[in-house]
Amino acid sequence: MFKQITNLGGNEWYMILSLLIFVVFFIVVVVIMATMKKDYSDYMKNMPLNDSNDQEIRD
Amino acid sequence: MQIEKFSYDNKIVRDFGIATIVWGLIGMTVGLLIATQLVWPFMNFGNQYTTFGRIRPLHTNAVIFAFVGNAIFMGVYYSLQRVLKARMYSDVLSKIHFWGWQLVIVLAVITLPLGFTTTHEYAELEWPIDILLTIIWVVFGINMFGTIIRRRERHMYVAVWFYIATFVTVAVLHIVNSVELPVSMWKSYYVYAGVQDALVQWWYGHNAVAFFLTTPFLGLMYYYLPKMANRPIYSYKLSILHFWTLIFLYIWAGPHHLLYTSLPGWVQSLGVVFSIMLIAPSWGGMLNGLLTLRGAWDKVRIDPILKFMVVGLTAYGMATFEGPMLSLKQVNAIAHFTDWIPAHVHIGALGWNGFLTFAILYWLIPRIYRTQLHSVKLASTHFWLGTLGILFYAIPMYWAAVVQGLMWKEFTPEGVLQYPNFLATTLQILPMHMIRAFGGLLYLIGVILMAYNLVKTMKAGSLLKNEAAEAMPLQPLTKREPTAHRRLERKPLTFLVISLIVILIGGIVQMVPTFLISSNVPTISSVKPYTALELEGRDLYIREGCVNCHTQTIRPFRSETVRYGEYSKAGEFVYDHPFLWGSKRTGPDLHRIGGKYPHKWHFDHLLDPTLTSPGSIMPAYPWLITQTLDTSLTKKKLEAMKTLGVPYTEEEIANADADLMAQAKEIAADLNKTDVDVREDSEIIAMIAYLQRLGTDIKVAAE
Ligand code: HEC
Repeated sequence: MFKQITNLGGNEWYMILSLLIFVVFFIVVVVIMATMKKDYSDYMKNMPLNDSNDQEIRD
Repeated sequence: MQIEKFSYDNKIVRDFGIATIVWGLIGMTVGLLIATQLVWPFMNFGNQYTTFGRIRPLHTNAVIFAFVGNAIFMGVYYSLQRVLKARMYSDVLSKIHFWGWQLVIVLAVITLPLGFTTTHEYAELEWPIDILLTIIWVVFGINMFGTIIRRRERHMYVAVWFYIATFVTVAVLHIVNSVELPVSMWKSYYVYAGVQDALVQWWYGHNAVAFFLTTPFLGLMYYYLPKMANRPIYSYKLSILHFWTLIFLYIWAGPHHLLYTSLPGWVQSLGVVFSIMLIAPSWGGMLNGLLTLRGAWDKVRIDPILKFMVVGLTAYGMATFEGPMLSLKQVNAIAHFTDWIPAHVHIGALGWNGFLTFAILYWLIPRIYRTQLHSVKLASTHFWLGTLGILFYAIPMYWAAVVQGLMWKEFTPEGVLQYPNFLATTLQILPMHMIRAFGGLLYLIGVILMAYNLVKTMKAGSLLKNEAAEAMPLQPLTKREPTAHRRLERKPLTFLVISLIVILIGGIVQMVPTFLISSNVPTISSVKPYTALELEGRDLYIREGCVNCHTQTIRPFRSETVRYGEYSKAGEFVYDHPFLWGSKRTGPDLHRIGGKYPHKWHFDHLLDPTLTSPGSIMPAYPWLITQTLDTSLTKKKLEAMKTLGVPYTEEEIANADADLMAQAKEIAADLNKTDVDVREDSEIIAMIAYLQRLGTDIKVAAE
């Protein structure tokens, strides 16, 4: 089943390079995510709930 | 600092809302019509403007760009103002955006049935409309960014990131996929040909799904689901990972539409790998949504709005699981070109886009009209009708796909095809297609109920056109913020540029080598450009939308080479502006139809397919016989092709009309010999010329 992605007749570099780009990108995003402070993410989370005065007509 | 008073524009939200409902009804009705055409060909009404090939694009464009498009703008205009605490940047731009978008749709409704099409799926509109669309999209972008810049909330909520990514990516996709050389006001050729054109089209097509049907709706989910459930999103951090990995990965997946074609193998493999990785962020997003409802399931049981959301998210999860599975080569080999693909698409379209849109409409309309929903019970009925509609649509289609897919591949013990007649496999699945149409009908009835319910609601309330709001203006920032993403969330333009770079990477890695390295598209010396008559015939094939039922690419499987002939090579398509590989085999592949039948067979078949193929569901094309071939543009078409690199000589262009007549006379004479009374200048002659040429060039080499 992995033949379909490993047997590329000399063009494996495209695959390796592409996956490498992704891995680097992914690590950067994870680091950024992990370093985010909780109070900040709580603040952002509640943004949609604090934005309007329609509470009084909630059904 | 003083608190500032301002107001939110609800009128524009309402306008987009009404447009959503109206176009939804129209687009789905057309969908129901074409579903019935695939069972009862008389539903084509014997009229060229209503045949399947021409109005199938009308259905797809209407539901994607008119129904879903207006729903996106409705949802964005409401939520953007509120999470940024600012009115839309310009009321005038909002109006231009609204009316411009409706104009594009009306033009589509007029031009598609007339047969003006570029054939690229979900991008069929001809070049003047493409330009108009670009302008309107930019207007939307300016309006959005203007609002973002004038915001009173320093950081952009995750919904806004999705809106920004949607805006830039759709702009890039639309522009790259619309590079056409105009021949006249309503006719153009893509500058790309064959394999390269296919790669561009499916990079676009797949990412239209990603960035028009997915990212804006994820943005909407991140805003409306917390509102509806009255609790914050499950995890904000997860949304960061979700957003960036989703937009990075999606762009690479397009080639999974072209597995086993003559697209270079490494591009196909990249498509497969990235499609499979795409499960992770897609499910991350779905779980982030569903987990938001934890502890609120009691509400889900009674509130139809939340029910719509839950089933919508589940449908998203199903479709995004199924997509990667379909990208596995082994699965794709069986499922591709069958009804599995429309079923897959409709799980997404009816379940995810449809249900989220309905939920937002039910939530939003009463709020901006300051009233209660007319009938919650009716909304519940809508929910059940919609859910049943999806099941009645999808299950028979999966069944039909398996039945037909296996029949195509079935060999007898002696090693010949069990069902050599394609039509036998079509007739087998007609009952399933009837049930599918019934499913569509149920779904449509649900939408009609919704329209009634919402109109009643609007009548009972009154629109609060400008909703008063107040907020502190943004203070200058005094201290440096500690983390990178936090800084990024207050820098909209940097955000835009980074998203742009992220979505460009995949396209560049796949396209640049395919375009520049010649070994990726090996040429075949016996492949020659079409004659003038064949080219005109090809344009008729395009006009009639034959590509919506017929593929022109034979995959290298025994079951296909035995049925259709030698598998297709990249070099055979180098003069095909645009490529016509198609995506669905409602009828058999036509890449090697040339020489398979005598001219008379094609004449009879196009006049009335049941003459040659009893029970056929292919529409009849009698007007091809009565209409005279328009040759006023022939020379210009050849010149345009020459500009695009097709090696026509000056002489061939100068003699185009004479050559065309000579070839037409030959075919007409042959037909006359078989007692067919046909004029040599009728359109059908050109169509036959084209069909008889298809796939024959490599046979010349072999002889
Ligand atoms: C609604 C879908 C549909 C559309 C649109 C359609 N066809 Fe067909 N076509 C079929 C089906 C189904 C068959 C198989 C039964 C038959 O022979 O009629 C078929 C068969 C054919 C065949 C015979 C193929 C073979 O190998 O026997 C040709 C040629 C053909 N179509 C040409 C066209 C052309 C040209 C157009 C556009 C003018 C067109 N078709 C539009 C569905 C369609």
